[in-house]
Amino acid sequence: MTVDEKATPLGVSIPAPPSRLGQTATAVVVGVVLLASAADLDIDWGEVWSIPGQIQRYGRLMFTDPDWERLPRALFETWRSVSMAWLGAILCVVLSIPLGMLAAHGVGPTWLRLTLRAVFAVIRAVPEVVIALLLLTVTGLTPLTGMLALGIAGIGTQAKWVYEAVESVDDGAPEAVVAAGGAIAELARWALWPAVAPALTSFALYRFEINIRTSAVLGLIGAGGIGSMLSNYTNFRQWNTVGMLLVVVITATMIIDAISGRIRRRIMEGAKQ
Amino acid sequence: MTDTAPTVWELPPKPTNRARIALIVGAIATFTTLTCLPVIGGVELDFASLVDNWRNGARLGREFLQPDLNFLPRTYGPMLETLQMAVVGAGVAAVLSVPLTLWAARQTNPRLATRQPVRFMINVVRAIPDLVYATVLVAVIGVGPLPGLITLILFDIGIVVKLVSEAIDAGEHPYMEAGMAAGGTQVQINRGVVLAQSWPFFTNQWLYVLELNVRISAILGVVGAGGIGRLISERRAFFAYDDVGAIVLEILVVVIVIELFSNFLRRRLT
Repeated sequence: MTVDEKATPLGVSIPAPPSRLGQTATAVVVGVVLLASAADLDIDWGEVWSIPGQIQRYGRLMFTDPDWERLPRALFETWRSVSMAWLGAILCVVLSIPLGMLAAHGVGPTWLRLTLRAVFAVIRAVPEVVIALLLLTVTGLTPLTGMLALGIAGIGTQAKWVYEAVESVDDGAPEAVVAAGGAIAELARWALWPAVAPALTSFALYRFEINIRTSAVLGLIGAGGIGSMLSNYTNFRQWNTVGMLLVVVITATMIIDAISGRIRRRIMEGAKQ
Repeated sequence: MTDTAPTVWELPPKPTNRARIALIVGAIATFTTLTCLPVIGGVELDFASLVDNWRNGARLGREFLQPDLNFLPRTYGPMLETLQMAVVGAGVAAVLSVPLTLWAARQTNPRLATRQPVRFMINVVRAIPDLVYATVLVAVIGVGPLPGLITLILFDIGIVVKLVSEAIDAGEHPYMEAGMAAGGTQVQINRGVVLAQSWPFFTNQWLYVLELNVRISAILGVVGAGGIGRLISERRAFFAYDDVGAIVLEILVVVIVIELFSNFLRRRLT
């Protein structure tokens, strides 16, 4: 019996609590980094206390009397954003399914797999906004740019989901196709596609949901759609119109999320009997 | 064996659901067509302009792919600001997310009257894209890192609270029953049992939002909310695509380093 252990009234000794030195050290390091970063930021922390008041004041300006006159225009622009998101999702999915399958273990050759994965990793790391800024030199600031940017920027993550899904397929069917002499195309069609189709469809819808948010962001930099309208009226300081636009963005996003989420659950879990 | 004709097997009819497939394909085709009609707001698929202007883009693309590394020293200051915003944003969001998560999960807050408003607020917060917050907040508070920081905090809270409260709701909770059997109040159970059990969920999501923050804060500057994004839009406005290339390369390196770092931490913590 060591000194650390305490004797209970019953005479049974309980082991010493495990050392928490590591956790304490981590917490201290994290805390110091946080405080140092916060102190060095160019923020007047005294100003922070006035923010709730500010937000309340502007919130009142935006939402007490939203400008419903401009609703038709807002709906038009919303449809433009939704269109960008949808067509971008189609482009992204159509490109990423074959590329992602080639990048999965046991499908394409090793050099191709590694190259593709490196490309996906690079695309994932570049923000969509940057891709849009690069593309607009070719197409100008149009919804087409937004759609292409969404399509290209999404490939990084989408293709990663595809190859992860393909790699989790049971070996049986792929081995059977290869044993029967199938090439990559036959392998993909007869072994991989039937196994991963539900998951990929669900991912495609999820991409659409993500794109709905991103297309509004691309609008802010000028690609058109609800984001452009929002950024314009914010610059004009027309707060009641901004308030109406925020209501439209929130409602549209939540409705689309709800519908798409329902379809996804139905695809993954099947119809409730 | 006599040479009788081989038995002819009646194949069962293939199950068909042509009507359903036609319906689904039709719905998708209609939706896609509607998104291509510029009259009602759809995207004008003007591929001719792509063909006309590709030379333009190819020239700038070439410049972009030859980054001017001499520009890098000027980016270190804004990059540091970006990282600081990401870290502080994730830190503040981490602290705020704990009580909100416990409020939003059914297991830890059985009272519908207080749970539902929190959930609704979180859904509303999540429906607004990050840069939209930044744009409005820049107009309200003014240019600088503060609106960017608030954007990151709101965005992070939305993600952490939603994912962790769903994870808490999804699990089986024999340990909570143990807490109840021992006579603990809901608050005691939450603090003593649920927090200890859901710690890995929290740390995982905190590291995830830290990664996301680095990506987002890199572009917040495009709308004036601080960080390296300001330099991107400034150099692009001058058509200095070699400088933009250098900045993007730097963001790429930083994002990948942060991802490796957080993967390392994740392995250590779990």
